[in-house]
Amino acid sequence: MSAAAYGRLRSRKRNERMMNMATFVVVIFCAALVLFPIWWIFRTSLMTNAEIYRYPPSLTPDNWLFSNYEKTLQVFKFWKYLWNTMIIIVPACLAGTFTAALCGYAFARLRFRGKNLIWALCVGSMLLPAMVTLIPLYIGWTRYLGIHDSYLPLILPYFCGGGAFNIFLIRQFMMSIPRELDQAATIDGAGYFRILFSIIMPAIKPAMIVVALFIFIGLWNDLLQQMIYINSSDKYTIALGLTNFRGQLKSDWSLTMAATCLSFAPGVLFYLIGQRYFVEGITLTGMKG
Amino acid sequence: METIHKPLKRRSRYNSSEARVAYICLIPAFLGLFFLTYAPLLGVLGISLTNWTGLKSPQFIGFDNYVQLFTTDPYIKDSIIATIYFAFLSVIGSMVYSFFIAMLLNRKIPARGLLRAIFYVPFVLPAAAIYVGWSWLYEANFGFFNFLLSQVGLNKVLFIADSSYVVPSLSLISVWLSGNLIVIFLAGLQNVPGVYHEAAEMDGAGAWKRFIHITLPSMSPIIFYNLLMSLIANLQVVTPALALTNGGPGNSSRFLTYLMYDQAFVNYKLGYACATTFVIFAILAAFTAVLFKTSSRWIYNEGGDDK
Repeated sequence: MSAAAYGRLRSRKRNERMMNMATFVVVIFCAALVLFPIWWIFRTSLMTNAEIYRYPPSLTPDNWLFSNYEKTLQVFKFWKYLWNTMIIIVPACLAGTFTAALCGYAFARLRFRGKNLIWALCVGSMLLPAMVTLIPLYIGWTRYLGIHDSYLPLILPYFCGGGAFNIFLIRQFMMSIPRELDQAATIDGAGYFRILFSIIMPAIKPAMIVVALFIFIGLWNDLLQQMIYINSSDKYTIALGLTNFRGQLKSDWSLTMAATCLSFAPGVLFYLIGQRYFVEGITLTGMKG
Repeated sequence: METIHKPLKRRSRYNSSEARVAYICLIPAFLGLFFLTYAPLLGVLGISLTNWTGLKSPQFIGFDNYVQLFTTDPYIKDSIIATIYFAFLSVIGSMVYSFFIAMLLNRKIPARGLLRAIFYVPFVLPAAAIYVGWSWLYEANFGFFNFLLSQVGLNKVLFIADSSYVVPSLSLISVWLSGNLIVIFLAGLQNVPGVYHEAAEMDGAGAWKRFIHITLPSMSPIIFYNLLMSLIANLQVVTPALALTNGGPGNSSRFLTYLMYDQAFVNYKLGYACATTFVIFAILAAFTAVLFKTSSRWIYNEGGDDK
């Protein structure tokens, strides 16, 4: 390599390092912007009302008033709401993930008559917006089955594969598992279900965790259906409880923000635990979708 | 790939025990597709042709609901405008924002995993709490954004309480929430072969040229996927109206899905609400169709190897 070429390469390397450092600064700045609203909400939750209305506002509370949370918990029945939310989410996640794996297995591995048609119906339903079926389903649950003020309409749909998107996700992931594994098991005399439960399911664990997380987020955010199906206040979920709480305490911002932060907490906790899988799973949807 | 793994030919194309297992596995999917998807879809069409209120038994009234919706309904026009306006701002905003951040995160920077995780945080918070939290930032007198405006000498803005600002304000929240798009974009960028960039650089192509001629074309399938998903999600927007604005001020945030909710579950006009549902469905289908139709023109598909 000539000296001139070597010099060019070195200056390019240096340039690149400079660019990366500049990028790093910009990214840190953007990340701070993204976190800022959350910080602002949190810092408000620890302030007195006098402090909130002070001008100019300060970035941190003078005294960290954790007693605001005690006050909030007296009115905002967080633990009750959290429990109610979990009663919906836990069975839905388990059932949704399990049934999605069953369906995904059929589509990824088994051969049967009508496969293409059923697959097309499944994929087609992915493009069908969820709100289209809202009213007929409501009529079905309340009129035909007589189910009122219950979590069942929120949970039971997840016993049906947890939605086409999740079946799709699991199927795509299963396709990437080498078939030699199941063939070896077949030779050893394992049946189809045996293969599914003891070979495929362990191998697609990341995809199953992702599906569970998606179901979690979906239910977590689904204020509309919770509003429609749940009436009595002792059955409120976190989302319903918070929306209602805000209505009651319109002007008490520090308590409202404390309730908001409490509602943030389980999601953040769940995310910290499953962060790796989240990223992996979202990547999966984009790459294989 | 498929052909390599196909087991040896059997006498019949389908092995009966294999098929039986498949059908058993698919029972949940059959139930879901029938009871939760396609039957309700037909149900919407059927109910939309009746005057059902939930009290009396429904009567068939033909297309009266649709006629009423498009001639005398006081909300539908504002509602369509609000929905499309919101979706337009949110989709464009989230796409640009998340592509930009993904481009930055794709460079070799320290703590990339942690930074990526930060951009994703808003997505895992419960939507209702997000809107309640942001309503404080948008507050008229003591909210953070009005403090910022006062710092640069601008007048107070009412944000969610002002009919001309409410949709852009809600869209900003929706952009903030689009961390999932960043993750998908980033994964796509990491799949763009480095050799293309190197070759182009040798030929003297600058950063901008490389972005236009290499990055964008090779990312086009992923841009399409993100565009489609965020369009479908944003056109169905309802939570901000439920949690925060109740469709106001005026009708400025009376999004179509909220209108439908209001008709069906506040006023109990189930037949009428189903007609609205069908209108939303038609709008979504139209946008999706346009996107798919034009996609072949701008999606670059290397070797046709997709799915």
